[in-house]
Amino acid sequence: MKRNSLTIIIGAVLVLIFALLLFVFQVRQSETAVVATFGKPTGTPYTSAGAYFKWPWPVQKVYKYDQRVQNFEDKYSQALTADSTMLMTSIYVGWKISDARQFLQVFPGDPSVSLPTAQGKLEDMLRTAKSAIIGKHPLSDFVNANPQDLKFDAIENEIEQVVQDELRTLNYGIEIKFLGFKKIGLPESVTQTVFDRMKSERQVLISLAENTGKSEAQKIQSAADAEAAKTIANAQATATRIRAEGEAEAAKTLPIFERNPDLAVFLLRIDAIKQSLNQRSTLFFDERIPPFDLFRNLPTNAPGH
Amino acid sequence: MQRFNDLTNVERNVQKNGLVNLVAAALIFVAALVVTTYSHSLAGQAGSVFLGLGMLVAFTGWFQMRLEENERLEKLEIEEMARTKGESTLFAAKESEAFPARRSREQFEKYFVPGFAVLLFLLEAGGAWLLWRWVARMAAGVPTDRAMASLSIFAIFALLLFMVGRFSVTIARLEGQRLLRPGASFLLAGAYVCVFIALGIAGVEAKFPRADFWVARGLCVLLGLMAAEILVTLLLEIYRPRVRGRVARPLYDSRVVGLFAQPESLFTTAAQTLDYQFGFKVSETWFFQLLKKNLPVLVLAQLAVLILSTCVVFVDAGEQAILERFGKHVATLDAGAHFKLPWPVEKTFRYRTEQIQTFVVGYVPDEQSQRATTILWSVAHAKEDNFLVGNRAPVTIQNENAGTNGTLKAPPVGLISVSIPVQFQITNVADWAYNNADTTNLLEALATREVVHFLAGVDLLEVMSSNRLEAAESLRAGIQASANEHQLGAKIVFVGLQDIHPPTTVAGDYEKVIGAEQTKLATILAARAYAISNVTLAGAQAFTTTNLADATRLQLEVSRFAQAALFTNQIPAFEAAPSVYKQRVYFQMFAAATRNARKYVMLVTNTQDVMWFDLEDKIRTDLLNATVPNE
Repeated sequence: MKRNSLTIIIGAVLVLIFALLLFVFQVRQSETAVVATFGKPTGTPYTSAGAYFKWPWPVQKVYKYDQRVQNFEDKYSQALTADSTMLMTSIYVGWKISDARQFLQVFPGDPSVSLPTAQGKLEDMLRTAKSAIIGKHPLSDFVNANPQDLKFDAIENEIEQVVQDELRTLNYGIEIKFLGFKKIGLPESVTQTVFDRMKSERQVLISLAENTGKSEAQKIQSAADAEAAKTIANAQATATRIRAEGEAEAAKTLPIFERNPDLAVFLLRIDAIKQSLNQRSTLFFDERIPPFDLFRNLPTNAPGH
Repeated sequence: MQRFNDLTNVERNVQKNGLVNLVAAALIFVAALVVTTYSHSLAGQAGSVFLGLGMLVAFTGWFQMRLEENERLEKLEIEEMARTKGESTLFAAKESEAFPARRSREQFEKYFVPGFAVLLFLLEAGGAWLLWRWVARMAAGVPTDRAMASLSIFAIFALLLFMVGRFSVTIARLEGQRLLRPGASFLLAGAYVCVFIALGIAGVEAKFPRADFWVARGLCVLLGLMAAEILVTLLLEIYRPRVRGRVARPLYDSRVVGLFAQPESLFTTAAQTLDYQFGFKVSETWFFQLLKKNLPVLVLAQLAVLILSTCVVFVDAGEQAILERFGKHVATLDAGAHFKLPWPVEKTFRYRTEQIQTFVVGYVPDEQSQRATTILWSVAHAKEDNFLVGNRAPVTIQNENAGTNGTLKAPPVGLISVSIPVQFQITNVADWAYNNADTTNLLEALATREVVHFLAGVDLLEVMSSNRLEAAESLRAGIQASANEHQLGAKIVFVGLQDIHPPTTVAGDYEKVIGAEQTKLATILAARAYAISNVTLAGAQAFTTTNLADATRLQLEVSRFAQAALFTNQIPAFEAAPSVYKQRVYFQMFAAATRNARKYVMLVTNTQDVMWFDLEDKIRTDLLNATVPNE
């Protein structure tokens, strides 16, 4: 008996729990819910948090959606700028369901399926708008070393405006809250050319630095050479002057030699011979040259002796 | 005749139970498949396989019951006929011809049952193996909006299976219906399986997304155990002694399923084991009896504790929790213990608010880069992104088409790699939780956008060299403003610009520029050294030259004056003996000047011979004798 009553209690608790689960649904503060009766959305969406009554499935079914701003990032895709540059961009988008009932009608089915579907549609619109707006602007509007020439914000606003207008026209029950560029780049092939150009710039700087160095060095060396040459030339001039002064001073002795020119010339000749024989010499004499003239009368190997 | 009718009624009732089991198993199997498809529950998939096996077992049991009933009817009819007609020629006939129903039952037990057991083994083993692998590949995917409906339906399945299974198990036990037991056990076990599936889905709903996965894994293990058991049973069946008259346990009657369906039977088995082990009736002690009697109460108490445990929440240090009552934010809980109404009336969601959280813009760190002690521009230290950056050409470059492909023109931009850690704190947990979905991802997107925007408007060299601190502060302020604008409820604590460099591909060339600058300085310094040396030596040479000139001048003056003085003194001597004096002077000079000269004196006058003199210098013999070594 005791066992049976326990079983009944357990069963009653289970039934109560199942009944609650079947007849009551909760809406979180971050959610909005639409109740569909036999598949048709009925009533106004539940946007306030709380517990609400519903008829069990399959009479009524509750579709709960996240009413917070949801964000996603579109594909990193290629587009042509106004000055024919390939640009790769990726945009993040914040969007939310503004009309859950309309959303359910446009994107029927479970939110786990309808939300990605809606996001896919939004991404298609976004990519179209993005390509169109990028095509109106040159690359310098996206990247510019002068920040005042950038039109980043304006481009983002233009894309947002295009997508917003289209969503309003199509009445999907969703709205864009914000968007922005998350990534800007260049296609791989163009990136390679940029790398090559950056390398070339570096090569120019390398060459500039090396040759500037050589030029500076050459200037310094030549200035030094000039200064050295000048110093030496000045010294040589001074030396010449000094020697000339010596010569002038020495010339004062010449009148003394004039007292006996014959002897003076003889002595100069003697001195000249002495100076010329100073080096290693080979001399040929015959018997007429003094002092070898002493050999003249000596016996020779003449025939007949 | 009355006994015959009673027996027939009992057998028919049991058969009816078997049929009810089969129908229930089939219906719930199909329904479970549908709900599983709807809910994408991994545990539901595994549970459906289990229920499908149960359906097959129930069918086989029911079919075998029918065969046995036919045999029994056949036997009773023959006995009745034998009583009324006495000896009959029927018994003279061959046994197989006389008892076709028995023959059918025997053939069934001999061939079909082992075959079915093998099939069951293959299905269980294959199911366990394939499900295990499939579950590992699949992401947990019970959509939250379908969770409650699926949970409810599986709970209803559990209730239905429990009622049918419990009734059949009791009937099978009381009336000793061995063929009813396998299907009944499967149904009862199926009820518990459905409860576990529902719990798994409830776990997903309660923000434990892996709960469904782990329940699926558990069911895979159960299928594996069942396969192992049936394999062992098949092997043992080969060696089982066949005793005539002894009724064999059906091969498809799983003890594992029975134990799973009726865990209380474990007590009996455990009690027997303990009694044997300890040598006295442990199972009759007050503790064991109390445990056995109050097991349902204990289980219920455990469930109550489980529910009560959801009434207390402990928020860790550095965390805050949002308390929701029926989904409505009613309070924000700080660190410490808090009481709340039980789940699902009140729920809490925790967030790390005090803790400094970090994400990095520009690169994805890898394990190897984290371990590296040196970071070089020219060596990739992570998976780096290249950002577009403004480019003022440092010098005029004539050839702008520097690309390898002649058709592509390099745009006037540069590329740069950055790694910018962004540290933040959650300051308003309600804003963080309720304004945006996936707020961390959004903050990262906003921060990346600020970085992209900032880099797109600066010159590459400027940003790499100067104003880094100012740039970091500017970035921090920009990200904070963006976060405030989107009401993230976060404070940007720090933005670092410690690693900005050219991409790895061109980093080497940037280093070469620095090398070239050093070479330039070295060349200039060498020239300066040369200049110093040259000018200094020139000064010395000038000094030498002027000094030599001074010396020459002095020498000239002195020698000339000396010569003049000598000449003045020579005049009287010359005048005294002019010719002798001259001869003397001549011979003195001759002797002195030709002392070292090679002299040839030609004294022969009477010969016509021609004499040749080779006056060339002789080469030294040792040089002539020198030999040139061969290569």
